[in-house]
Amino acid sequence: MKSILSPRVGLFLLAAGLLFYPIVFSGAFYRDIGVAVLLAAIFASAWNIVGGYAGQVSVGHSMFFGLGAYTPLLFYTLWGWSPIAGIPAGILLSIALAVVIGMPTFRLTGHYFSMATIAVAELIRIFAGTWNLVGAAIGLQGPATARGWWDLTFRSELPYYYIFLAVLGILLTITAAMERRRFGFYLRAIKAGERAARSLGVPVRQTKMKALALSAAFTSVAGSLYAIKTGFIDPDSGFGILVSIQMIIVAALGGAGTLFGPLLGALILVPLQTATNTWFGGGGSGLTYILYGGIIVLIARFEPGGLFELWHRVVPERWRRAHAT
Amino acid sequence: MLLDAKNVSKTFGSFWAVSGADLAVEEGEIIGLIGPNGAGKSTFFNCLAGETLPTAGRIVFNGADVTRASPEAHARAGIGRTFQVPTTFEDMTVLDNVMVGAFLRHPHRNDARDHARRIVDLTGLKADQQARSLGTPGRKRLEIARVLATDPQLLLLDESLAGLTPTELHDAIALVRRIHDMGITIVIVEHIMEVIMTLTKRLLVFHQGHVIASGTPETVVKNEAVIEAYLGHAQRRPPPGVPIPAPHSGEGFSGGGSD
Amino acid sequence: MVALQVIVGGLLSGAIYALFSSGLTLIWGMMNFINFAHGEFVMLGMYVALLVVVWLGGGPAVFGIAAALALFALGVGIYLSLIRHVLRGPMLAQILSTFGLALLLRYTAFWIFSANVVSLPQTSLAGTINVGGIFLPLAQLAAGAVALTLTISLHVLLTRTTVGSKLLAVAEDRTAAMLMGIRPDRMQALAWGLSAGAAGIAGALMATAYPWSPSVGETFGLIAFVVVALGGFGSVLGSLYAGLIIGLIQAVSAFWLGAIYKDIVVYGLFVALLWFRPQGLMGKA
Repeated sequence: MKSILSPRVGLFLLAAGLLFYPIVFSGAFYRDIGVAVLLAAIFASAWNIVGGYAGQVSVGHSMFFGLGAYTPLLFYTLWGWSPIAGIPAGILLSIALAVVIGMPTFRLTGHYFSMATIAVAELIRIFAGTWNLVGAAIGLQGPATARGWWDLTFRSELPYYYIFLAVLGILLTITAAMERRRFGFYLRAIKAGERAARSLGVPVRQTKMKALALSAAFTSVAGSLYAIKTGFIDPDSGFGILVSIQMIIVAALGGAGTLFGPLLGALILVPLQTATNTWFGGGGSGLTYILYGGIIVLIARFEPGGLFELWHRVVPERWRRAHAT
Repeated sequence: MLLDAKNVSKTFGSFWAVSGADLAVEEGEIIGLIGPNGAGKSTFFNCLAGETLPTAGRIVFNGADVTRASPEAHARAGIGRTFQVPTTFEDMTVLDNVMVGAFLRHPHRNDARDHARRIVDLTGLKADQQARSLGTPGRKRLEIARVLATDPQLLLLDESLAGLTPTELHDAIALVRRIHDMGITIVIVEHIMEVIMTLTKRLLVFHQGHVIASGTPETVVKNEAVIEAYLGHAQRRPPPGVPIPAPHSGEGFSGGGSD
Repeated sequence: MVALQVIVGGLLSGAIYALFSSGLTLIWGMMNFINFAHGEFVMLGMYVALLVVVWLGGGPAVFGIAAALALFALGVGIYLSLIRHVLRGPMLAQILSTFGLALLLRYTAFWIFSANVVSLPQTSLAGTINVGGIFLPLAQLAAGAVALTLTISLHVLLTRTTVGSKLLAVAEDRTAAMLMGIRPDRMQALAWGLSAGAAGIAGALMATAYPWSPSVGETFGLIAFVVVALGGFGSVLGSLYAGLIIGLIQAVSAFWLGAIYKDIVVYGLFVALLWFRPQGLMGKA
């Protein structure tokens, strides 16, 4: 007889909770937060693949987010196409960019990669601010009113919620599958000890490259979803460092390298951010980022594995084993 | 001949860590590499394992030139190695550690897991134990298990039996024998006399980057040059200010390697 | 003549880049660690200078030393409370530690000082000077000269003094250094102090000649990366050459392509370096 607290039951409850949340909490405010949580969970889970599992810490992941955000609105602005058409373009561009960055840096130590990500993200951000084709500093906008369902311009938050939930579901399923296979083991081995991994025949460079490409693709999708929902993008909201920070802190707080860590982080941080923005009023975002900086330092110093790791350390082994399947 | 290393040299700046070392290994042998600290045996070992690029010389394994091959390529070719300081994957279980090795020849998870379980049983470890909860002997054993899972033809053991109690040492020697009986050729870097005398059939003695003697353990220990090397004066270390870069890392003041 | 002015101006700011970048390269060389908050150290040096001038009314020497000391203390404090612990941990912790620190410092500065651009009130170094037909602000000239001297001094400190050789010993082989009676922990703390101090004083020098806001930290941090990558990780002398080159490239790009492109060129150069010559000018292939 399975214990009532087994992981399967937990997963079922989580899925049910996520599915029925916007129906139970039907106010616009609650649905807004729900959508924001899901979006954060998506881009943090995407970052998690390369930053959490493989241990290659990208601090400029916003570049993929921005590419995915700009392409749908660009296709709309230039040719009047549905923004959906831009999503694959964003994915391809992001993967290409991932290769450009990964190829030289993955043969060097991890720090080079991190530095490269921050430099390239900044480079693209400044450049986007000067390029008129993509709206320069002003940015781009999406359809003001829907010409059809394919514009994905909804008045209510509800359709967005379920679209985002579906994407999150797909991403987590792919990540779970990856975890169980050779690719997932190889990623963890690289994170745990690259030198040893190499000596065991792990193709380190190619594995890192695949992880980055996969991560970039999904981050791009997150960016596309964001742009389509908001109907607006500019260099800062697309490529800014604050976007990169969000991805990192959401994943790291919950537990980088775990399947549900990013979702947990999103569930905690997004409502928290909304609350601090309300409390601190106009100076809100400044204080929020001071808080974020502090949280990141604390995580790094005391619990790099995030809340999941903390749970594993604090809850005695026996209790956990007794309640597992 | 399984492994044929000819005239291998490695320099760091003007410092000759290894100069003109030869090693020929037939299938099924157990060879020992010994020598005082700083003698060059670890550097030579790292050249054989593909982690250090020799400055000169040629290394041929199973007819293929592996002189410049990467560590990954070495593993694929059938050369496995352990590390002097255990580098087990701390956050993973024993089984998961070994599975990483198993995946080399068994790409599918279930095959890899079965193969890994067999190896874990063979080496007397517990599959579900966290690697970080193992003591040093356990870690060394896990390292051996992990590389065994890659089905190597040649196993390079880097002081894998150091720091063990007499009982642990006895068990470890038995394990190495079992591995040898499986048909795996072994080259072992070691300091411990008991290991060398009981396990190895042939020895190479390093001193100041050169191979100064080779032969059976009995003849080698009586060799005058060898005795002089171990008891003699100036132990050679690279002059200060000459950084020895760690392989595949950034430049500058990287920590010095041993030997 | 304008071209020459641009070139000299670039070299002068490049000298300051060299100074703070040498701090970053020192830390990399010593412990294989990248400080993502290094730009913020420079930024803090600038604000220390401002506060000293506003509260105490001191001259450049006073606020220069104040910035150096304040940041030295901060550097040591950060090493002892944070860096020392994460050095033993996973890469994620190492990178997040200074990344988070950068955010903390940057946004605290935004909060305290707001995003307004500030500059130091007129100091004794006001006015321009005519050097062979080129008009240079005296402050820039003085700042560049001092930065150059200090960078060279740091190099001399590291290569020719006892303290310097102790630092290098720890960098090369911790265990051996310990056996020789050197305390690696102390040396590493010292290195952090020197690194931050160099950044701080570079900031104070920067403040005498150019206006700024809290956002400069991010830019200087990236410039430091490029300089260190170009000059070779771990080499102060390399940082010197590279700093001057980057300053020059930046000034020429601003002049030729427009102010907004100066950073693009520098970051683009960084990406190119990673592709073609990651070991930089002074590193071995």
